[in-house]
Amino acid sequence: MLGDILTPDLFASAIRVATPLALAAIGGTICERSGVVNIALEGMMLAGAFAGVAVTYYTGNPWLGVLGAMVISSLFALIHGLASITLKTDQVVSGTAINILAIGVTGFMMEVLYGHPGNTDPVAKLKPVFHFGGPTEGFVGQVWNWINTIVFSHTPIVYIAIFFAIFGQWWMYHTTWGLRLRALGEHPKAADTVGINVILGRYYAVVFSGAMAGLAGANLTLEQVGSFTENMTNGRGFIALAANIFGRWTPGGSYLASLLFGFAEALQIRLQSFRDVIHIPPEFFQLLPYVLTVVVLAGVVGRAVAPAAVGKPYEKG
Amino acid sequence: MRSRFLKVLAIGLAFALLAGFAVGCGGDDESDDTSTDDGATKTDLMIGMVTDTGGLGDKSFNDLAFAAIEKAKADYGATTTALQSNEVADYEPNIDDLVASDYTLIMTVGALMGDTTVKKAPEYPDVNFIGIDQFFETPAANMLGVTFREQEGAFMAGVIAGMATSSTFDARLNPDLTVAFVGGMDIPPVERFEAGFTAGARYANPDVKVISSYAGDFNDQAKGKELALAAIDQGADVVFAAAGLTGLGCITACQEADALFIGVDADQYETVPGSGDVMLTSSIKKVDVAAFDAIKKTIEGSFPGGQNISYGLADDAVGLAPYHDFDSVVPQEIKDMVDTVKAGILDGSIAVPATRAEL
Repeated sequence: MLGDILTPDLFASAIRVATPLALAAIGGTICERSGVVNIALEGMMLAGAFAGVAVTYYTGNPWLGVLGAMVISSLFALIHGLASITLKTDQVVSGTAINILAIGVTGFMMEVLYGHPGNTDPVAKLKPVFHFGGPTEGFVGQVWNWINTIVFSHTPIVYIAIFFAIFGQWWMYHTTWGLRLRALGEHPKAADTVGINVILGRYYAVVFSGAMAGLAGANLTLEQVGSFTENMTNGRGFIALAANIFGRWTPGGSYLASLLFGFAEALQIRLQSFRDVIHIPPEFFQLLPYVLTVVVLAGVVGRAVAPAAVGKPYEKG
Repeated sequence: MRSRFLKVLAIGLAFALLAGFAVGCGGDDESDDTSTDDGATKTDLMIGMVTDTGGLGDKSFNDLAFAAIEKAKADYGATTTALQSNEVADYEPNIDDLVASDYTLIMTVGALMGDTTVKKAPEYPDVNFIGIDQFFETPAANMLGVTFREQEGAFMAGVIAGMATSSTFDARLNPDLTVAFVGGMDIPPVERFEAGFTAGARYANPDVKVISSYAGDFNDQAKGKELALAAIDQGADVVFAAAGLTGLGCITACQEADALFIGVDADQYETVPGSGDVMLTSSIKKVDVAAFDAIKKTIEGSFPGGQNISYGLADDAVGLAPYHDFDSVVPQEIKDMVDTVKAGILDGSIAVPATRAEL
């Protein structure tokens, strides 16, 4: 029975589930490293998911949909930037407002564009990038099947997420810009003193996080399911926020934490088939990813320290 | 300059918030229509409905319940309105709003609203409550619980799935003898679908394995897709989803991973565009028939409160949708078997389990 569960698709599924979380988490990492709390990832992801479908619906081109998703969620991020950087409101309040706003606006726009609530009509999706044949016979065929399924079965944004995890990690610790970003969140006054524009830097970071959340939303609608359902992000933005923290505010760590959650989710889905044999309520399996993630990360990662200036609006002078 | 910019921003945000409210409180307020069919009883009854979090547009029980009150408006000239609940916290205020607006018959839709109905009905003894998909342990005189014997339709769907996975009429059917059930949340109506489907599949072929999993949510398509993909990966070639909008992801999974699908609640061949290539049939649950029946009894007689009414195959409130594109493909022996099973359920010779414990 375990053989039914330990298949290559278990790992491929883990990567699929992790992708939207990881993208939003990396966006959240950049944002919080600059000193701005972003609990609005959920709302930005939702707005992006809808915009992706709407743009694809009208243009027929899912890549334009991806672009639309990133632009619209960046606009939502800009509102968060205005409220929290320029107007210096409480960043948690602003984020909450955006989450609520996104639910309302997407639901409203759905009525306007489609004439009905609930679910949009299906649109064209982004297809998997690779189509390799390769051997199917014997041991070589088996090994190739594992590699092909786990590594080469995915849609474009899945690979883009991995790119951002690796590139972002390098960028944050090995470039001047990465150092400046970290300075914004640790000691903005010091950054200001050496001539870094704190306000502008934070705006860049917040808008970037919006674009990443939009990409996450586009992954959900334009790669995974092909249509938009009201409130379909279903808390993924908040899990991404947690993944960012568990990943100790690093792009690579955010990805790995998301991957761990994705793996636990893929595993619990498959473990549910054991309910045939052991009569346990399904809710027990559904909470496994959350428990496992907390236990593993609390045990392995240990205490995570937030950027010193996160959540504090910058007052010049 | 700066203050002007802020003013513009503030106005913009206010509009955005208004947009949010419009969705939250929108519903349909077209209640001025007083034209009725000739000869039909007219009524000044005010019927209000509160959706659960699935909301209107779920192409499922919220929409069907709405169709019932629309029919009451058309047939009897009743005044109707529907309030949407975006989250669980909206249930109570929505009911309060309806009562405050003098609605005297309130339909609360969905099992998730059951507790709210039980709490609110005693507060408003002059208002009658119909709870769709709700079973009341001790229904008061102003409460009517409407439930369905979903297991009866699901049993027939299970028979089709069990026979299909044992046969080869479609290239997507494999020899693994495995079918899958995907549920939204583990609540009684969904469990009845699960129990009926599982029993039906085993009735068709005792060797059939049913992989059953739950999403824990009715709105998460992406999760539904992963659940179905996992089951297909484990050998399932027919997937039945009783999971609301989550189930739409299962349709996508079947299309991408080459499996067949059985829909739920409505005839999903009609309600989900582009699903015809995998849609074997649907296990339908005519919420509109049952809800309208309850309203009709209220208007033409008196409110049938103080009880729970269960609607099933005999009331034509549950059943199977047509095979549509699969009509010419599905072997006659399966169709005959379904008819035999239907007769068996109706005459009581086949006892259909309603819970997992009875399996």
